[in-house]
Amino acid sequence: MLSMINKFKNNAEARESKDEALIGEMVFTMAHLGCPVIGIKSGGDLQYVRFKPVKDPVLYSFTIVLDRKTGDGALQQAVLGSKATLTFVAEVKNHIADPDDLVAMFRTDMANMLRSPWFGDIKLDHQLNSITATKKQLIDIDDYADADGADRERLRQLLQGTMQELREKVAAYKK
Amino acid sequence: MSEHLDQVFGQLVNRSWQRFSEQLHTREIDDLLVGAVITAAVAQGNALIDLNSDGNHHYLRFQHRERKHRLMFQLTHLAGSVTAARTLGQHASVTMAYGEYVQDARTVWQALKSEVKSGFLDVGEPGVLTVDADLGTGYVYVQVPLLLDLEPYFADQYTVKYPVLQEHIAAVAQACAKYLHGRIAA
Repeated sequence: MLSMINKFKNNAEARESKDEALIGEMVFTMAHLGCPVIGIKSGGDLQYVRFKPVKDPVLYSFTIVLDRKTGDGALQQAVLGSKATLTFVAEVKNHIADPDDLVAMFRTDMANMLRSPWFGDIKLDHQLNSITATKKQLIDIDDYADADGADRERLRQLLQGTMQELREKVAAYKK
Repeated sequence: MSEHLDQVFGQLVNRSWQRFSEQLHTREIDDLLVGAVITAAVAQGNALIDLNSDGNHHYLRFQHRERKHRLMFQLTHLAGSVTAARTLGQHASVTMAYGEYVQDARTVWQALKSEVKSGFLDVGEPGVLTVDADLGTGYVYVQVPLLLDLEPYFADQYTVKYPVLQEHIAAVAQACAKYLHGRIAA
């Protein structure tokens, strides 16, 4: 029990915790958008959080992966800022129980998707009964991680806008 | 006949999905709680400064943006199967800690750490307040292990009762803070 402190990396400097602070703000913002956390994994500079859009009839899940690229050290922070790649994945899941429907889906939707999986910077993919739309975006953590009103509003627009953008791409595949 | 068998297959798949959803909810309830704790703490003016999770054991650390005190949580889900959840109820082992920056943390820690040597500690008993220090950052913590039922924090599968959760966090933080201030003053 007394080793709980040792379970954390020692983030003595505030700049080393910026990605965690951003994850905290994202979880807070997504909760207010009606999307609670249903999966979380974190270690090193990679944070993975999966959300459930509870009242959305189309999306089964929405995942955000934060991969920190720069800003761990004081020099990097000063020169490059705190850059991170956000990977957004919107997932549609079909519970198809009729083999004829399943065959029809593979002949039409999946064939179309495999022919042209890219819509600009969004990639469509399918795996078994899931269809996903993925988008990557490079951001400066400093633009979003503060808890002031402007940062929170920017973050809300980013998350809500991206979720809506990806949703539009996969909505056609929801059965 | 063929159509009838298709219908039977459909029923089997649909029932399987019901079972699967039940298992899934049992497995993901700790992640829901972690998300709820983060949301509740951020809403109270804290910033998440550490997050460590392998999917089963979750470690969270927050720092208040203005007052700079810290909160730590260690959550381990103890009813990961449907059978365990139905017989024992959804529950988790939660250790919560409250910490403050102390000017001379090393001296304070030297004075307090004699209790760590006690053979009566670290036996997994709930409600026992103990002191620990992070000398690298100068924070001294008081922590308390608890075994918590999870159902009271949820109105339904995905709806969190934030007032209940925030009240419980505030109550534990207040108890730990009182003990910490008392021990430092003594």
